[in-house]
Amino acid sequence: MRTPSKTAVLVALAATIPAAALAAAPAAGLKYERTIYSDTADVALRRPEGVACDDRGAVVVADTGNARLVVFGWKEGALAGGTQVKLAQLPYPVRVQIDGKGFVLALDRRAKRIVRVDAKGAFAGYLEPQGASSNPVTPAAFRVDAADNVYVLDVVAGKVLVVSPEGRVVRELPAPKASGLADVAVDSGGRIYLVDAVTAVVFAADPKATAFQPLSASLKEQISFPTYLTPDNRGKLYVVDQNGNAVVKLGVDGSFLGRELAMGWDDGAVYYPAQLCIDAGGAAFLADRNNDRVQVFQLPR
Amino acid sequence: MSPRAAILVLAAVALLAPAGARAAPPPAKRPQHPSPAAAPTKPSAPTRPATQSSAFKLKAGANGAVCLECHSDFAQRLAKPSVHTPVKGRDCVACHDPHASAHPKLLAAEPAAVCATCHDVVPKTAKSTHRPVAEGRCTDCHDPHASGFQSNLVRGGTDLCAGCHAAVTGPAASAKVKHAPVEQGCTVCHAPHGSAAAAALLKSDVPGLCLGCHKVDSPAIAKKHMGYPVKLARCTTCHDPHGSSSSGLLYATVHPPVAKGLCSMCHEPATSANPLQTRQQGVALCRGCHAQRMGRMLDKNRVHQPVAQGACLACHGPHASRQKGLVRANLVVACGACHADTIRRQELSPTKHAPVKQGECTQCHDPHSADAPLMLVNPDGIELCGKCHDWQKHSTHPIGDTKKDPRNRNLTLECSSCHRAHGTGAKHLLPYAKTTDLCTKCHQQYRR
Repeated sequence: MRTPSKTAVLVALAATIPAAALAAAPAAGLKYERTIYSDTADVALRRPEGVACDDRGAVVVADTGNARLVVFGWKEGALAGGTQVKLAQLPYPVRVQIDGKGFVLALDRRAKRIVRVDAKGAFAGYLEPQGASSNPVTPAAFRVDAADNVYVLDVVAGKVLVVSPEGRVVRELPAPKASGLADVAVDSGGRIYLVDAVTAVVFAADPKATAFQPLSASLKEQISFPTYLTPDNRGKLYVVDQNGNAVVKLGVDGSFLGRELAMGWDDGAVYYPAQLCIDAGGAAFLADRNNDRVQVFQLPR
Repeated sequence: MSPRAAILVLAAVALLAPAGARAAPPPAKRPQHPSPAAAPTKPSAPTRPATQSSAFKLKAGANGAVCLECHSDFAQRLAKPSVHTPVKGRDCVACHDPHASAHPKLLAAEPAAVCATCHDVVPKTAKSTHRPVAEGRCTDCHDPHASGFQSNLVRGGTDLCAGCHAAVTGPAASAKVKHAPVEQGCTVCHAPHGSAAAAALLKSDVPGLCLGCHKVDSPAIAKKHMGYPVKLARCTTCHDPHGSSSSGLLYATVHPPVAKGLCSMCHEPATSANPLQTRQQGVALCRGCHAQRMGRMLDKNRVHQPVAQGACLACHGPHASRQKGLVRANLVVACGACHADTIRRQELSPTKHAPVKQGECTQCHDPHSADAPLMLVNPDGIELCGKCHDWQKHSTHPIGDTKKDPRNRNLTLECSSCHRAHGTGAKHLLPYAKTTDLCTKCHQQYRR
């Protein structure tokens, strides 16, 4: 066995040691704001894996363990609402997005389908990409851009599909050879990103590219098991390190800029974090799965 | 002045010299006048450090004899059957600096560098290198002075290899069906330092290595393989080269079609143009027999990505395996191929969780699919741990659905409130080095 580097040892142990026990934590970047523990009826969240937000103040939680979505309002640091949306088509929602029309798109991991939910909380159909070169499309992750195009990572077919708001596949990119592709993201410039949890490599494809290229060599020494990434559209990528219990900042060139947060049960700490959403005001909503809650942080201004 | 006194004087001079001059003197600063009595073992070795007897201006006959005045125990060593050449020539300074050294045992350089001055044992383009060699631990296997075994080995033949490779030599020794080369010694097939030809230190790659002894075109062997051209196949996918308790040296777990000789269930007929080609590609082939099981796998909340991708062979071998379920390797290796971070945490942990250490990942995780996060076989954490730790279910700190976690109002207390199953940097799988730091997180009244 190769001897792990000092950095790798520190990262591995940091994944298991609560924030208070680490001299380096809490990190200076993400500032804890508040925690969402329950809906408006005080029903506790259970293993929530998804959270989406938009610039109009909508926040949607995929409350996975309770087989439902919970819709909140967020304005100037204050949280309102907490309405439950429970649909037969969503037995296990894990990732959510909000499109420009206010529709919620939710990936159901059991059904392996993306479900559309309208603003009133009613089922509005499945996302059924038309014209894909291989069928069926099996989404493992997805993202919606500002023009309501949907970027679907299909790990079974080994492709990333770009689906127009009308449901047509307008672009297909072969996914890179990787055994643990976990997420797809797109920035405001149309650049698509993929992250491989196994090798901790981030890949990118520019708007006219025909293939993904790795942004850097493996970041496995800095990131234990990255399962989600999102650009902040201010020159940084935020990567959720699920097993490492942290959020990792990268430059858009793939350079490592630091780790934020640490493992723990108290407010401000995380335990198997999942989806992260950053709104235009820099509020960062993080689904803190094994802590049964969603936490809100503020990015440095 | 006696040779010993001369060395003491030189040592005193070296110690009184300024520190900068003492620290690791470069070869060029050593005495350069050759001594007629001190012929170096390999004077022409270009990279050899200037530690030969000649460099120390030893008097005639002083070489080695001076050292033995104090190191009298060497008399016994010199009587051993295999004595290292410089030792035999009493050329102690070929390897040691008699005055001072920054290296252990007064060695003239790093231990591996000392050996490498004479012994260039690893091929330049090695496909595999023995770990002790790569890490410069030559003395793990060789005694640098003398031994009772050929090549100065510290133990003889298989016994030496068994020191590290007991997982191979143990089963090989107890195997009912022996492979003759294993009886003769590991080096029949393996190059002990490095191999330019193949992985695993093999002298040549499989099947070439096997075909050196086994004539697979012979009628008897061809019949055993149902007429399939196995000389193109990798023998070790079915056969254990170190011995087996199954006939034909087959691994302990054999895929039923292989065991029954029904190769054509999966492969094109032996008489076809592409006999080794499978009848269907990928998961479609496996589904032919395992459709029901695969259906159950896919009918869960969470499906392991290789299963979702139909990549059965990412984890399973199609023919035979040492492991149950035809898994390609011990689960620490098989699962660790993708979950290296989890395995690393266990390795760094002072307390090892037995199932992780023993590669029994499936005690807690379902490798195919599950309804719970982390692919746990039981979403109830207390019941899951209680499978092995039954006593702790009812004789421990209060845990259970009615015991709220003071740190987080949505959580109740369970085993993982205080322990992490794959280890931490602290003992007992606890997240804090000091137990009181953990307890006072909730029992704050006792915090000092």
